Amino acid sequence: MNGPQDVGGRHGFGPVVPEDESIRFHAEWEKRVLGVTLASAALGYWNIDASRHARESLPPAIYYGASYYEIWLRGLEALSPAQERFRRRNSPTAGRSRPVSARTAGCRRTRSGGSGQGRPDRTPRPRPPLRHRRPGPHAQSPAEGSHRLPGYARGREGIVTALHGCHVYPDTNAHFEGEQPCPLYTVRFDATELFGGMPIRP
Amino acid sequence: MVAVFNGPEEHNLVVCTLCSCYPWPVLGLPPAWYKSPDYRARAVREPRAVLSEFGVTLPETTRIHVWDSTAEIRYLVIPERPPGTEGMDADALAALVTRDSMIGCDLLEPPA
Repeated sequence: MNGPQDVGGRHGFGPVVPEDESIRFHAEWEKRVLGVTLASAALGYWNIDASRHARESLPPAIYYGASYYEIWLRGLEALSPAQERFRRRNSPTAGRSRPVSARTAGCRRTRSGGSGQGRPDRTPRPRPPLRHRRPGPHAQSPAEGSHRLPGYARGREGIVTALHGCHVYPDTNAHFEGEQPCPLYTVRFDATELFGGMPIRP
Repeated sequence: MVAVFNGPEEHNLVVCTLCSCYPWPVLGLPPAWYKSPDYRARAVREPRAVLSEFGVTLPETTRIHVWDSTAEIRYLVIPERPPGTEGMDADALAALVTRDSMIGCDLLEPPA
């Protein structure tokens, strides 16, 4: 979707403000939002793609006016209806009935980072580099739902430089329509293909 | 996780333009600037301008690669080994490394 999160290459943003490497939070409540978000995710009512989609579906005026952890908190609020969809589509024993040990294991996985979304790939694939592969047709005009293709790369020509095996497909997983693992590629683009020539500054 | 190596001819910079994907297991929680729309918007279009805000100026001949995580793959930059570190062991070298250098936003200083 053309959501507010898709800022790559957009104009009008300000300078980056580096800060001391020891700083992680700017208010006590941010720590609580991080903790509540990770603990809630470990309950298993939604997946990481659904939580991203919830944040990215916030109205642009709210998204751009909110700090990072405020976006996370508002995303959590929005996930309550998502939880209802999950419960309708899955066994009534899914999620809440999992033993505590499973919940804490999920929390540890979440904390350890990485996507954790890799899945077995049993289909032979062509080996990169593959020159001049175009993104799929949906990339030209994305559906309204979730996807991970940034707008600045949409419809541009690149070179597939790596195949990372199969991963969960966020486009379906974010909407509780199954993991549907797909091959994951790294695609390299030249800056001129994405953004044209050097910008002319007044 | 994918490690990418900086050198005199190639410089790597990591961003997640859509969210805040970051190598948590190695670097911990990302800094606020990494998650800011300012960094996410500009790192892909004008990486040299962004680097200058960290006090980093690269030669025009250095090719910059910007890695946009966008969910699945995490990237870690291995910074260029500074001059004057010949003969230093891993622990001594590690003491020179900054967090920002492993995102691609810092160059390592030679030992004092």
